[in-house]
Formats: sequence, structure tokens, C-alpha cells
Amino acid sequence: MLENTPAITARPGLIDTDVHNAFANVREELRPYLSRAWQAYADYHGILMPGTGYNSSVGVQREDARTPSGAMAGSDPDFMITDHLDRFGIDFAILTGSHVLGISVHTDPDWGNAVATAYNRNLAERWLGRSHRFRGSIVVNHSDPEAAAREIRRCAPDKRFVQVLMASGSSRLFGQRFFHPIFEAAAEFNLPVAVHPGTEGAGTAGAPTPAGRPTRYFEWHNIVPLNFMGHINSLVCEGAFEKFPQLRFVAIEGGLAWLPQLMWRMDKNYKALRSEVPWLRKLPSQYIRDHVFVTTQPVEEPEKSPHFLQILEMINAPGNVMYSSDYPHWDFDNPRMTLQFLPKEWKQRIFHDNAAALYGLAARPA
Amino acid sequence: MPRYPVMKESDLPPGARKLVHVAGVEIGLFNVAGKVHAYRNVCPHGGAPVCLGKITGTTLPSRVYEYDYGLDGCILRCPWHGWEFDLRTGEHLVDPTTRLKKIPVESGGDAAASLENLERFPVESEGGSLCVVLPGGKAGGPS
Repeated sequence: MLENTPAITARPGLIDTDVHNAFANVREELRPYLSRAWQAYADYHGILMPGTGYNSSVGVQREDARTPSGAMAGSDPDFMITDHLDRFGIDFAILTGSHVLGISVHTDPDWGNAVATAYNRNLAERWLGRSHRFRGSIVVNHSDPEAAAREIRRCAPDKRFVQVLMASGSSRLFGQRFFHPIFEAAAEFNLPVAVHPGTEGAGTAGAPTPAGRPTRYFEWHNIVPLNFMGHINSLVCEGAFEKFPQLRFVAIEGGLAWLPQLMWRMDKNYKALRSEVPWLRKLPSQYIRDHVFVTTQPVEEPEKSPHFLQILEMINAPGNVMYSSDYPHWDFDNPRMTLQFLPKEWKQRIFHDNAAALYGLAARPA
Repeated sequence: MPRYPVMKESDLPPGARKLVHVAGVEIGLFNVAGKVHAYRNVCPHGGAPVCLGKITGTTLPSRVYEYDYGLDGCILRCPWHGWEFDLRTGEHLVDPTTRLKKIPVESGGDAAASLENLERFPVESEGGSLCVVLPGGKAGGPS
């Protein structure tokens, strides 16, 4: 335990694993971290990211979370501390950024790499230095895995970065060898690799479903888990967790109620089709239990909460699920209202212990 | 225990498979590299006629993206779901607790001593013939 740490009170710890720091003006804030050539590009084009074309009818940002000066929600570290961390007693917030995940589905990997580095530098200076409670994600451009690995190795010695983060939108499934340089670098520093939705169907990413594009944002949002299923299935079958035994994969904001179905189908098929993947040494579901973590928001809300508990039992949830709020986005899950029906021990693990163990945040900050 | 001679040993050379009906029970006999194994023709997974499956080899445990083919002639692949069974042990390659109903092969002697249940059929070699031994029932020739 850290010295000068306040006595642990009866209050259970709270770690929020999906908090969106943002930019009030992305061009002005990233510009100082770009090379002269990319500054000229940004001056002309702005910090362009491919869009999905899907727009939420309630907006993405919570209107009440705008900063006191009226700027973009999430753009002021001090206001985030009072409006979110202090309000809910959050010990650590894992920052997952805004605007820049689209670098991985941009047609130009050099632009993507330049923005990744600029973003990570800005994050370290502006946010991670502001509060011990902010922990960073190293944003990488997965369309250029060698460059992504270099960026991981550049940032990882700064222990305030606790994971690698990339877009879940992709033209390839993440288990494939194309991406292994990313996993190799992450494993070197024992950093989990996380993915976050938002780019499904954007830029170079595949369509949000194999049968094409949903019509509206509502429909697009509903089906995001399909993409997550594809990636997790791929990671297991390609043997990524055999090749990189250290690798942990965090599926942010993709839900979890679909996991039992995926696990059962994979296990059943493995009993027949094992010879296609002779490098697997255990049931596919076991790789998921051992290596895959999911965050709760937007938490599934069945009519009868015991049904949610049954799902958690099916996937061995006490060890694999981590609370997240998605602050300051529209579909925020309030930690005082969400999953309150959990048994006390599970609540402790899901709201604190699992994230503390995964991200090495065992001691409560002063 | 009743013994049922089913065929001459020379009718089942190495690599061969024969299906026999004995007292209403279907049994597959397999000669794997000179050793005879017999199994009931019912897959423990889904009830398929497992003994009619392909006799093959398979990919051995390997490093990621490496393919090491082996156990040629030792793998019985169920014709319905493709589950792989090791003919030498009757065990499913993924879950060894799922196994074919096996008949130990003995050359003479008291086969009844190894008879554990209805599904386990000893095979005996008697004067150049292969015999299976079933618990209970009437002794006699093959049906």
C-alpha cells in the first residue's frame, strides 16, 4: 500500500474503466504534438477522422456534462474531477479518449500514426499529470501494427499508461497474424489490449454486419456486439493467447450477455473441428475466461435481474467483468444505480477488484 | 461369459476394419498396426454409427500456425459430427472422459475377468479366430 494512503474506509473501492477525456478544440490541442508536415496537413484539413454516418438522435455527449465555460463534455480535466470522480468517489478513471480512434480506419496509415503519437503525448501532459486518479490508454493505429508496436514501446515505460487501446472497427479480425506485433509489444510490458466501439462501418472498416449496413444509429448501436464476437472468436481460434500467454484483451462497451452463446458454440465446434487449430490446448471458452475482460456499460437490463446474474455465472463473471460508466456520453451508467442487485462480493470485484488487478491499481491513491 | 467367434484373425489384417453383429449388438473391429480393438458401434456423443467413420490421422498438438500431421491410421472420425477418437484407447481427443465402448484384446485366457459392463466386449483369439465375449445371454455362434 502507498504511504500516506488514507485509511481504507468501509466504502468499497470504485474504478471506472471507460471514461472519455475529450478535446474542446482538437486541432489546436494536438497541433503542438504534430511534425511540421502534419501541422500543415491539419491546418488545411483539420484532424479528420472517418465517420460511420450514424448519428445519435440524443447526441453523444451528455448536455449536463459540458464544462463550466460551455465547452465539449470531457474536455476539462478539473471539471471531470469534480463532476465525475469526486461526485461518485471514483478511485481511478481509465481514460479512453475521444475523436481519435478513427485513425485505425483512415486510409492513410502515416496520418493515423502521427495522430496516435500526438494524442498520447497530449494525454500524458494534460491529463495524466493532472491527477493520480487518471490512468491512460496508449492509443494505437491498428492498420499499421509495426508502428503501433513502436508507439507502445515509446509510451509503456510511463507507468501511468495502463493499457493499449484501439478501434474495434477493422477490415480484419484481430486474432490474425497481421496484428501480432501489437500483441507482442503489449505483452512485453504486460499491458492489456483494449478495443472500443464507434468505428464499426467507418472508413476502411468492414460493414457493421456481414449482411451490410444498419439503417439508423439505434440499429447500428444494437448490433455492435457482433463485431466484438468476431474479434474474440478470432483471437481464440488463431491461437493469439497461446502465442502470447501474457495477452489480456479488454472488450469495452460491447456488452456481455452474448458471451455464453459464443463460448458454448466454440466449445461444441472445437470437439469436432480441433484438427484445424492444433495449437489450442484447452476449450475455447477457457481462453476467454483466462484472457478476455469486458466492461459493463451499456449494461444489459433484462426484466428480471436474476437473469443477468445467471449470465454472469455462465461466463465466470466475478473475474472478467469491470464496471464502466462511459462518462460523459449519453448512455452513461451511474455507479450508484447500476448492478445494485449484485451479491456484495461480486459487486466488490466488478466495481473495483478486477480492474485493480488487471491494471495494477491495487493501492488506493492518496 | 458367452464367447462369440466372429472371424478368422487373417480376415482382419493391419489397417482393416470389420463390422459384426453379435447377439443383436453391432461391433466394429479394427486392426491398428497388428493390434485388434473392438468398439460398440454407437458414438458416446450423439449415437452415430461411429465405427463406420473415416480411419485417418490428424494434426498433432503444435505451435501456433504450425501443422504436424501424425497418428495416421489411429484416428476414427465419427461420420456425424467429426469427433476424433483414438482407436488405440477409444478416447475422444478433446475430452478423454468421452470414450468409445471398448473391448480389450486378449489372446485366450479368461476374458470374463476384464468384463466390466454391458458395453465392454473382450475379444479373444482362439485357434486363429477372433472371439468377442458378451455378458449374459446364450452362448453360440455369431448371429
